[in-house]
Amino acid sequence: MSTERPDKPPFLGFGLGLRPQHYSEILDGDPEIDWFEVISDNYMIPGGQPLRMLDRIRERYPVVMHGVSLSIASTAPLDMDYLQSLKALAERVQPKWISDHLCWTGVHGVNLHDLLPIPYTKEALDHVVDRISQVQDFLGRRLTIENVSSYVSFGQSEMTEWEFVTEVAERADCWLLFDVNNVYVSAFNHGFSAQDFLNGVPRDRVVQFHVAGHSHEESHIIDTHDHPVCDEVWDLYRHTVKHFGPVSTMIERDDNIPPLAELVEELNHARAIASEILGLPHVAAAE
Amino acid sequence: MTNLKELQESFQRGILAGDDTVLAEIKDSAKEQRRVLFGVYRYAYVARLAEILGDDYEQVHAYLGDAGFAKLTKAYIAANPSDQRNARWFGRHLPTFLRTTTTYAKHPELAELAALEKALADAFDGPDAECLTLDSLAGLAPEDWPRLVLEPHPTVIRLSFTSNAAEIWSALKDETAPPKAARLPEPQAIVVWRQDLMARFRPIGAEEAMMWNEAAKGVRFGVLCEMVATFAGEDEAGLRAASYLKSWIDMEMLAGCRLED
Repeated sequence: MSTERPDKPPFLGFGLGLRPQHYSEILDGDPEIDWFEVISDNYMIPGGQPLRMLDRIRERYPVVMHGVSLSIASTAPLDMDYLQSLKALAERVQPKWISDHLCWTGVHGVNLHDLLPIPYTKEALDHVVDRISQVQDFLGRRLTIENVSSYVSFGQSEMTEWEFVTEVAERADCWLLFDVNNVYVSAFNHGFSAQDFLNGVPRDRVVQFHVAGHSHEESHIIDTHDHPVCDEVWDLYRHTVKHFGPVSTMIERDDNIPPLAELVEELNHARAIASEILGLPHVAAAE
Repeated sequence: MTNLKELQESFQRGILAGDDTVLAEIKDSAKEQRRVLFGVYRYAYVARLAEILGDDYEQVHAYLGDAGFAKLTKAYIAANPSDQRNARWFGRHLPTFLRTTTTYAKHPELAELAALEKALADAFDGPDAECLTLDSLAGLAPEDWPRLVLEPHPTVIRLSFTSNAAEIWSALKDETAPPKAARLPEPQAIVVWRQDLMARFRPIGAEEAMMWNEAAKGVRFGVLCEMVATFAGEDEAGLRAASYLKSWIDMEMLAGCRLED
């Protein structure tokens, strides 16, 4: 086993992405969910019901914040209004950590609302490390960075994705969110080994797993988060747990959102796999 | 070698303008050509924004039907590349777009339907504020009432419709056939607000609309009563004004009040 970093955030157990469709079921019942991940951007709003629901859920569960618009790899200047708003939300929510993606979302004042890929070059690495450092200084805390699904690769890349991710984590001193589905999707699309990616990422930096479904288009896979998790991704999750040990795990569903019970069932599948591999009879939330 | 900034500019042009320059930087995969793979991003851009507009403007979608709404979203997306980090605000120009684009401007109910949906969304997650209560006015001395100034809740939005868009909205919301679009003989005043965390709207009469508009400008209650008297007769004018005030308090349309010297 690797030595854990003393300041590494706690293992929270097994969580779900918080979706408005499930607010009442969560608050009225006592679903078997250890923690919630919220999409930061959805709560970076002036007020009203969404923030009120978030406050109530935060009173009962640990919460982590997950953003989609930080655009950490963009060559456009950092958006200080966005960062200010993110910081204000973090002060309200007191999340266990704040994550966003290793990607860019637009330049020249345009936002394409997508997680766009970057070339794995030394230039991009220096740029991303510098930006993460600036954001961490502003937020006064470490960021957690997630690997994305990608559909194209660039001729100019000088290293593998996992080498790039590792360098980012070590040099920027940030945490990593290891998205099991994204590794599966990108491995298929670019023809690399998911196991190589898994082995290439530093264990002591990974604080969260995402597990999700996708859409298979035969020649490529698209990360749609609108299906249940498939057997191949569960297999990779099995390897992931073996490799990384107990890491906070969540099922990520963004579209075709089923009743809460169905997601809890999927979550229990993850729980069972982790318990079997790690020999944990029960995994308790750490708050 | 293309630097990162140039690569991102080229990638973005490829998505927004269909420019293929970026393909020279992208590799074919073992299973697929680069054009198809890059096409995933091109398709996703339009699909995602269309989905956002569909979520924000459900009744405009229902009114136009799938094909009509798809045509509208395509035109809107081309004319309004998103300049916001938060997708929540992407569709905010749709009422103006419908009002000022020739094809749609001929049907004023469309822009008004969109304005109503936008106002409901804005009221839903608008700023929080305390709500004025009847209790807080209970101790007010009779001589203080004329110098009372009301503070609207920040989620209240006033609209004025020339068409029967409000009626169309209600029919569509109930999933019944909407009435035929019609121009109203007089503009219809609408108020949108948030009560019990839900966004609501209601048409209001001309007198109440006048009093609300003036109250929102900071006009004292004593003057508001005089204006109500001038508007529709002195008979029970004070009672009418008090009744509007009570309904605004009950509906959480007021955030507070103060006494002006």
